[in-house]
Amino acid sequence: MIEYFLLFLGESIMIFGTLGILRFPDVYTRLHAATKCDTGGAMTILIALAIASEASLLIKLKFLVLAFLIGLINPMVSHAIARGAYKYGIKPEVVVDMYARDNP
Amino acid sequence: MVEENLLVNPFGWAVIVLVATSLILSYRVLFGPTLADRIVGINTVTTKTVVILAIFGFIAKEYFFLDLAVVLLMVNAVGGLILAKYMEGAR
Amino acid sequence: MSRVPFYLRERLDEIRQRVLFEAYEAQKLPKWEQIILTWITLFSFWIVISGNTRIENLFIGGITTLVISLLMYEMLTDDIRQSGHIIEKILYISFFAIPQYLFIMAFRLIESNFKVAKHALLMDINPGIVKIKTDLHSDTGITILANSITLTPGTLTLDVNKKLGETYLYVHWISVETLNREIAGEKIKGDIERWLKKIFW
Repeated sequence: MIEYFLLFLGESIMIFGTLGILRFPDVYTRLHAATKCDTGGAMTILIALAIASEASLLIKLKFLVLAFLIGLINPMVSHAIARGAYKYGIKPEVVVDMYARDNP
Repeated sequence: MVEENLLVNPFGWAVIVLVATSLILSYRVLFGPTLADRIVGINTVTTKTVVILAIFGFIAKEYFFLDLAVVLLMVNAVGGLILAKYMEGAR
Repeated sequence: MSRVPFYLRERLDEIRQRVLFEAYEAQKLPKWEQIILTWITLFSFWIVISGNTRIENLFIGGITTLVISLLMYEMLTDDIRQSGHIIEKILYISFFAIPQYLFIMAFRLIESNFKVAKHALLMDINPGIVKIKTDLHSDTGITILANSITLTPGTLTLDVNKKLGETYLYVHWISVETLNREIAGEKIKGDIERWLKKIFW
């Protein structure tokens, strides 16, 4: 029963993440929605799969390793994309920008 | 050996939701205002594809799909880092 | 620091770097402990990924990961702080530090998902880029701290700046509440830095 609850939670997180990517105004706020909702939804669905599968223990551990790798890789790629977008010249729509003040 | 009817399992419905959200996100990939928006869209779609591969492996009880998912995740990481590095240099 | 002439500032920078480097060298683990920690990590990863537990498979995996850990023992465990016996250290890391970190980060991740959903529905955003200071110095510790900041609610790490032995992080905050550096750092980092300082340098 708990795996269907986790599956429903992951699916709704993914849907709200898609809504956030479509509605937010600039790249950095879109990256917020993309990173958090993708990582949370994918990890939740993979933990639900690991609970629901009837295979041996090593296969279940393999699902958990996949979830761990997603949680390790996704924030790293988003950090690289944010830094690259700033160096590319995309101005953020912000109220205060201390990064531009320190790196003119 | 995928089963004939995907929708006997609640995890099969999850595949349909994931494919629908990927199709909606392809708007951001095709018409994104800048280059960074397209890269964000590509990364998100690839992560959803990794989850779809894991669900297929679970439904068909063919667990080599998990190795394919790990390899696709590595390709996603390396591709994202290379594109970010390219953006950093191509001012 | 602002009144120091320019030609003296480089010398001061150099001296601080050297003091920091010597303190860092004194706290490092010995070589065989680094090799054992790397070998345990790589061998458990081999067992899970390869997926069968026959004796020849374990033999091949043990030899291969031992060779790799003899060659590359510096990459993974170079920044771990010296404290206690090695058995005690392995038990502390694998049964106390990692489960505590995973448990707290899971709840933070769920909370940040709900917060992003709220922002996407109501669009009450007020974004800004702030600068905070951390007390960590090692590369591994800064990496884990930056990834944790990205996954906690409302923040995303933009860049890392290391100068004069101090580390600054630039953080994109989706709803800016304060501009004071200490209060912002306390709100953004939370307890994560205190846990990381127990293990990393």
